[in-house]
Amino acid sequence: MAFTPRGRGGARGGATPRGGSRGGARGGFSGGSRGGFGGGARGTPRGGGHGGARGGGRGRGTPRGGRGGAAGARGGAKVVVEPHRHAGVFVARSKEDMLVTKNLSPGESVYGEKRISVDTPSTDADGAPTKTEYRVWNPFRSKLAAGILGGLDDIFIQPGAKVLYLGAASGTSVSHVADIVGPTGNVYAVEFSHRSGRDLINMAKKRTNVIPIIEDARHPLKYRMLIGMVDAVFADVAQPDQARIVGLNCHLFLKDKGGVLVSVKANCIDSTAAPEAVFAREVQKMREERIKPLEQLTLEPFERDHCMVVGRYLRSQS
Amino acid sequence: MAAVDYLLQETSVGYGLYQVVQQPDTIGNRLKEVQEATQDLARFGKMIKLVSFAPFQGAAQALENANDISEGIANDHLKALLEINLPKGGGGKRVVLGISDKNLASSIKAAFSSVDCETNDVVQDLLRGLRLWAPKLLKQLQDGDMDRAQLGLGHAYSRAKVKFSVQKNDNHIIQSIALLDTLDKDVNTFAMRVREWYSWHFPELVKIVNDNYLYARLILFIRDKNTLSNDRLHDLVAIVNDDAEIAKAIIDAAKVSMGQDISDMDMENICSFAGKVVSLADYRKSLHGYLVDKMSIVAPNLAQLIGEVVGARLISHAGSLTNLSKYPASTVQILGAEKALFRALKTKGNTPKYGLIYHSSFIGRAGAKNKGRISRFLANKCSIASRIDSFSDSPTTKFGEALRKQVEERLEFYANGTAPQKNQDAMKDAMDAVLADITVDADEDNEEVDPEMADIVKPKKSKDKKEKKKGKSKEKKEEKKEEKSDKKEKKGKKDKKDKKDKESKKRRRDDEEGDVSEKKKSKKEKKEKSKA
Repeated sequence: MAFTPRGRGGARGGATPRGGSRGGARGGFSGGSRGGFGGGARGTPRGGGHGGARGGGRGRGTPRGGRGGAAGARGGAKVVVEPHRHAGVFVARSKEDMLVTKNLSPGESVYGEKRISVDTPSTDADGAPTKTEYRVWNPFRSKLAAGILGGLDDIFIQPGAKVLYLGAASGTSVSHVADIVGPTGNVYAVEFSHRSGRDLINMAKKRTNVIPIIEDARHPLKYRMLIGMVDAVFADVAQPDQARIVGLNCHLFLKDKGGVLVSVKANCIDSTAAPEAVFAREVQKMREERIKPLEQLTLEPFERDHCMVVGRYLRSQS
Repeated sequence: MAAVDYLLQETSVGYGLYQVVQQPDTIGNRLKEVQEATQDLARFGKMIKLVSFAPFQGAAQALENANDISEGIANDHLKALLEINLPKGGGGKRVVLGISDKNLASSIKAAFSSVDCETNDVVQDLLRGLRLWAPKLLKQLQDGDMDRAQLGLGHAYSRAKVKFSVQKNDNHIIQSIALLDTLDKDVNTFAMRVREWYSWHFPELVKIVNDNYLYARLILFIRDKNTLSNDRLHDLVAIVNDDAEIAKAIIDAAKVSMGQDISDMDMENICSFAGKVVSLADYRKSLHGYLVDKMSIVAPNLAQLIGEVVGARLISHAGSLTNLSKYPASTVQILGAEKALFRALKTKGNTPKYGLIYHSSFIGRAGAKNKGRISRFLANKCSIASRIDSFSDSPTTKFGEALRKQVEERLEFYANGTAPQKNQDAMKDAMDAVLADITVDADEDNEEVDPEMADIVKPKKSKDKKEKKKGKSKEKKEEKKEEKSDKKEKKGKKDKKDKKDKESKKRRRDDEEGDVSEKKKSKKEKKEKSKA
């Protein structure tokens, strides 16, 4: 661990204690030998060349503070990115922890979200460290992120998966789902509104694993040509008949035993009944659509009177 | 149930036609074992056999087919495939084709007399199997072909959807009414700032001229108050709408003003800002004119009934004229008062009586007790007007005028009990006026146009007849309802006051229920009409 103070140079000696302890802990996590090696290889050119440059090593990231105002966590903050329990999702640990996903098209934000760039030590003997860019996923904007932070057991959305996303809106959450499934997966993003659809299409231009579909999710037959079988259905449609909409889409496109995630907004279904009663009713309706509910999670404190219902689509009886 | 002989699969790369070799279990098709059959490629592969695959030649054809499929139309490409591969139905032998969409079924049936289409659960399961194993079953395809085709087709399809918007004109109305609201707010803010600023120099002017626009124009004219003398009186009068007294007062005030003197540079800045305010106010006027023009094209009857601005707000709130016309009148009545409505529903209090339509002059003119009634009545008429606008081919304002007259009469009735014209008569007059217009047009035009015009007139007439026969006619119903309410009201007058209130409440409820069901019916009718 001799590298840490050296790499950092004189400029930021003051901030060492916290970073140092973090670094130590991280080193243990990712394997001491690799971390030590990466640091050593890089220490030479960096240390002399730019004294002020922040030393990164063993996954401790340097935010790209220089790149425009919006990008990067606060300048000078040290970020460590760790994989989350769910594959494809990561956690950036800095002053506060943030949910992040690996950016599929590095160098660009989709909706002005912050980006964090991290050096990953290269696996080659002499290779320079590769930069990996992550995008911060705001749980207040995305219900899926809120669900993940709330501690969903299984989100079914994982690298390589094919996901049908109903209610894609402008494609902000969709872009993160696309990050998660990666280049081998697919996201079929269905949105009815032309206005939001415009943004969605623009987003999809940058991410080739997103297939935008501007059509009413109530009529899945209309877009049946555009979709293959999917592994998971995510629905955020906020319609009174959303259980039916989800059911229709599952019957057509979802593999047997595939995952279903539905975000339920109580107010949109019945504004007079108690939210709990509405949730219970929705779960019951999903059961009738052959979706076996596995989990129900409130999205507090990110959304009020929302819940996320996770289920498994069982085509056969019982 | 007839066994399924063939299956049609629509993919992004082309149409696939499969023969069902081994009939699936039809009885326990939700049993685990049966379901597993489709999920196992080895077993499923034995059940079906690929007969033919018709790939799309290029993106354009794929898009054309995707659009047709989504509308349930059998494209020529599909027809060709079926024509070649399905056995000809000689000797009354019929072929059963399993497909996923009922609409497509009817168009295939129309094209091929010997083909029966089946869309039941068993077929759906088979089609699910096809969808699941499509990349494996279609052996000509390479890995990833399907994904690429889906991506390309998805983009093309969605772009076309966004490009072709049905509510093109509505969008302009929605944008311009939003801009109008913003402009009102902004012009006011700016004008206040101009007044504040110029008042350092000439504080008396604010008291004399109250109007913002006029004030800003005066600044541009007066500039330095010390230069204002009697020889500029004539021009000044022209600006203040030929009011010599005001002009005189301004000049007098300028002479004894207690404002401080101002440097040329400061004055230059004030004037350039005042100029901006004036031009913004001018622009607001022209925008309003544009909105009025646009409304007279898109929703002439609605505009005639309730005014362009309120009508535009209603459209903007509903999202489009089509949406507005699909709303029941009870929704139109409280459009814009959602917050109050949901609060009332939650607390079981009184629901709001009016939303956006409050801004029409009618409600302000009604007495406090009748505001709710006239609002309900007006919402009914608005709903009718928007439907006429949305679904009629030839725009006229005749209905709007008739509806407006009806609302006026109803106001009159509430005020002093003058019996309004019967709804049936009012609507008949309006219809006659429209028909008269059309026939006059037809007479003026040469005879070649005549049949076309007759065509336009005919369906309306026949529809009228039909409605009358059924006795479900909107007009009739409404008239009945009105009569009923009239009777009740007369009765109520004789009764004691509290009793009357109770009754009116009950009646209101009845009416509203009636409204909803009636609207549903009329909506259906409209839908049928629009489909036809």
